[in-house]
Amino acid sequence: MDLEAARTAKESLDLAFHMSNILDTGLDRHTLSVLIALCDQGVNPEVLVGLVKELPKELPALP
Amino acid sequence: MEVSDQQTIIDLVKELVLRLLPPHSNTKSNSNQSLKYAMRILSSRMTPSISIDDSAIAESIKRQLVNEGKSSDALNFADLFTKFSSKSGPGSIKNKWAVIYLLKVVSEDRRNEKKSDSRVSSGFFASTVNGGLPNLLIGDENGDLRKTLDYKSRGNGGGGVLLVSKILNVRESAISEYVNLVKEENEVFEGVLVRDVLYACQGIDGKYVKFDKVLDGYVLGESIKVTRATRIMVRKLCELGWLFRKVKGYISESMDQFPSKDVGTIGQAFCAALQDELSEYYKLLAVLEAQSINPIPLVSEKVHSGNYLSLRRLSVWFAEPMAKMRLMAVLVDSCKVLRGGEMAGAIHVHAQHGDPLVQEFMRRLLRRICSPLFEMVRSWVLEGELDDIFAEFFVLGQPVKAESLWREGYRLHDGMLPSFISQSLAQRILRTGKSINFLRVCCEDQGWADAALEAAAAVGTTTRRGGLGYGETDALEALVVEAAKRIDKHLIDVMYDRYKFKDHCLAIKRYLLLGQGDFVQYLMDNVGQELSEPANTISSFKLAGLLESSIRSSNAQYDDSDMLDRLRVKMMPHGTGDRGWDVFSLDYDSRVPLNTVFTESVMGRYLRIFNFLWKLRRVEHALIGVWKTMKPNRITSHFLTKQEGVVKLQFISTLRRCQVLWNEMNHFVTNLQYYIMFEVLEVSWADFVDEMEAAKDLDDLLAAHEKYLHSILEKSLLGERSQILSKALFALFDLILKFRTHADRLYEGVHELQRAAQPSLSSRGKTKSKTWVGRKALTQRAGELLQNMGNDLNAIAKEYSSSLEGFIAQLPLQQHVDLKFLLFRLDFTEFYSRLRLNK
Repeated sequence: MDLEAARTAKESLDLAFHMSNILDTGLDRHTLSVLIALCDQGVNPEVLVGLVKELPKELPALP
Repeated sequence: MEVSDQQTIIDLVKELVLRLLPPHSNTKSNSNQSLKYAMRILSSRMTPSISIDDSAIAESIKRQLVNEGKSSDALNFADLFTKFSSKSGPGSIKNKWAVIYLLKVVSEDRRNEKKSDSRVSSGFFASTVNGGLPNLLIGDENGDLRKTLDYKSRGNGGGGVLLVSKILNVRESAISEYVNLVKEENEVFEGVLVRDVLYACQGIDGKYVKFDKVLDGYVLGESIKVTRATRIMVRKLCELGWLFRKVKGYISESMDQFPSKDVGTIGQAFCAALQDELSEYYKLLAVLEAQSINPIPLVSEKVHSGNYLSLRRLSVWFAEPMAKMRLMAVLVDSCKVLRGGEMAGAIHVHAQHGDPLVQEFMRRLLRRICSPLFEMVRSWVLEGELDDIFAEFFVLGQPVKAESLWREGYRLHDGMLPSFISQSLAQRILRTGKSINFLRVCCEDQGWADAALEAAAAVGTTTRRGGLGYGETDALEALVVEAAKRIDKHLIDVMYDRYKFKDHCLAIKRYLLLGQGDFVQYLMDNVGQELSEPANTISSFKLAGLLESSIRSSNAQYDDSDMLDRLRVKMMPHGTGDRGWDVFSLDYDSRVPLNTVFTESVMGRYLRIFNFLWKLRRVEHALIGVWKTMKPNRITSHFLTKQEGVVKLQFISTLRRCQVLWNEMNHFVTNLQYYIMFEVLEVSWADFVDEMEAAKDLDDLLAAHEKYLHSILEKSLLGERSQILSKALFALFDLILKFRTHADRLYEGVHELQRAAQPSLSSRGKTKSKTWVGRKALTQRAGELLQNMGNDLNAIAKEYSSSLEGFIAQLPLQQHVDLKFLLFRLDFTEFYSRLRLNK
């Protein structure tokens, strides 16, 4: 049963990674998995988008 | 569970932050700050602006890919998505749509960032944020640029043009060229134009849109550079402004003219209703103006939208007000010169429309416009008040004397009759108000107010104002019918009970139409002597006295004194040769309100009938007088026996001829008299009485009375068609009177002769000598007398028979069916017809 779950999860992640590649989002596999986990926890995707956009930009502002 | 959830989330976020930060600046402080920032963003609770539907998002992604030319990628994506969404069970992703959404937005943002130097092409990609509609990235310049490009790119939302990837560059360059062109042509921003249009629709000139008197419309100035499409759009929207100007112009004109009393209450009501509609319109415009300065609120900062209100949106909003305003302008045009009931009728014609919006609108308008009119009808019908300063009502009144109030006081003015009130209803309205006024003025009766209250209660409205409105024509009709019924009944009751109309009619019949036989006989006896004198020697006082005495000696004295008081002698204007017989007549004095029925002309007709009947009576009276002298008596029989020979024969034959002639004349006169009495007078009276019972209002009564008089005139040969015949008749009467004088003379002569012969008997002893001489002379005289008389009688007889023949011959030619009865009576044995045939 656990094996099944693990396999399903891996396949889903693979598919999602393929899709994100097609869409050219620039997200790597690990980041994507974290994002997916956060989505599943119920966080708003809009928020996550904001995070993804803002955080890299934040850095140049900081000393 | 909540706590552990939170902890998981925080851990995950930490991980994410670590991952996302660029590798070289991986210090502790940085990451803490970043973490704090991340938490702040997390708590900002932004929500996506679209619905939770992963397949829709997948569709749009596919479409995007196709549009970019990456059709193989699109197929792959579709494949992957199918597999992705089919994954279910433990270990699978629960919030699939969130993931897809995430991917989409991130990819878009990336693309936007990447291609931010080329300003145009990025606009062609569907933005998830905007819900699938295209948007442009043009920085701070918003306005019609986007809109014009908008509708070019509308194809993206819907089935999409399939572009091959190779020509993408060509397309992009063409579009950038176009945008530059458009920017050159458009000086003015759309928002400014929208505001100008909104001003124009209130009748105010805007910055660029002004009213052009030559073209009679609001136009964008020629010098301003805008696209032709925009110009046309602006022009179309400003039609509303033109219509508004027209309507407002009418209202203000009417309001200005109001003091000069040309506009009228209905015109004012119309203006008030229009102003109400315009205030609704102003409200709409205010809302639109408020909208026009607000932008649409959006999430992503890079994506701007322009004003909420564009020219196109404005045209959608204006559709309904345009229709209403057009309607109002049409009404204003058609009513410019009309007033009063006419105006209401014209507007009613416009309300015959199939569109429910128009019907609703017109009904509201008409309800207000017709309220003064209905008010006037109500007050007229229930109170008899004509409250019409501006002459807008369809009932016109004029000040007349009391006796002609009914006939001429009020009439209908067809011009002011609105088309939703039928002619018969208008007649009834007129009659009801007339009855109330008649009762109030002529009969001094106040009972009609109760009748009016009853009527109103029966219908369900009140006698106060505002009971009725337009669209309730049925209710109005019901009210009018009820009121008419009750008031008519009240009027008839008053006429019959208080004023004893029937009794007066009967009195007129008995006196003026010689119905009271014994009275007429006594009158004739008393007055006959007087009337033989020339007309100008007769005094009317004496005649009045004789009238009084004849009343007192007949049964008429038991009649109601009110009627007897009104009976008096009238002497008609006479010439020099007239005898009293020609100018004598009786008159019946009738006062208000009865002289509505018995007007001057009506009394004149009664007079004519009276004259005729009086002549007839006179002839009859004369013949009876002759009969009295002709009766066999001692004198004549004595005379008869005394004479002998030729004289006796002559005497006998003369007498016989006299008697025969008398008989003929008597037959004629009697039959004529009976005809007049039974066929004409009584029959007409019976009909009239029936109709009086059945009459429902004063008009009916007047008509019945007219009919009664007319039939009497026609049947007694006094009508226009019978003039020749009546002349013949009067000639006959004259002959009869001549006969009377001759007969009188004959008998007088006989009596004289007899008296002359008498002394020979009584004074035989004294004058014996004279008698012999006297006898011869007597015989001679008798012979002469008889000869003369005989000749005269012959002459009269001949004339009489020829006239009578002529008269009878003409009778069948008359068209009135009752005259055949006269012929029947006169010629019962067909004696005269056979006589004529033999000739």
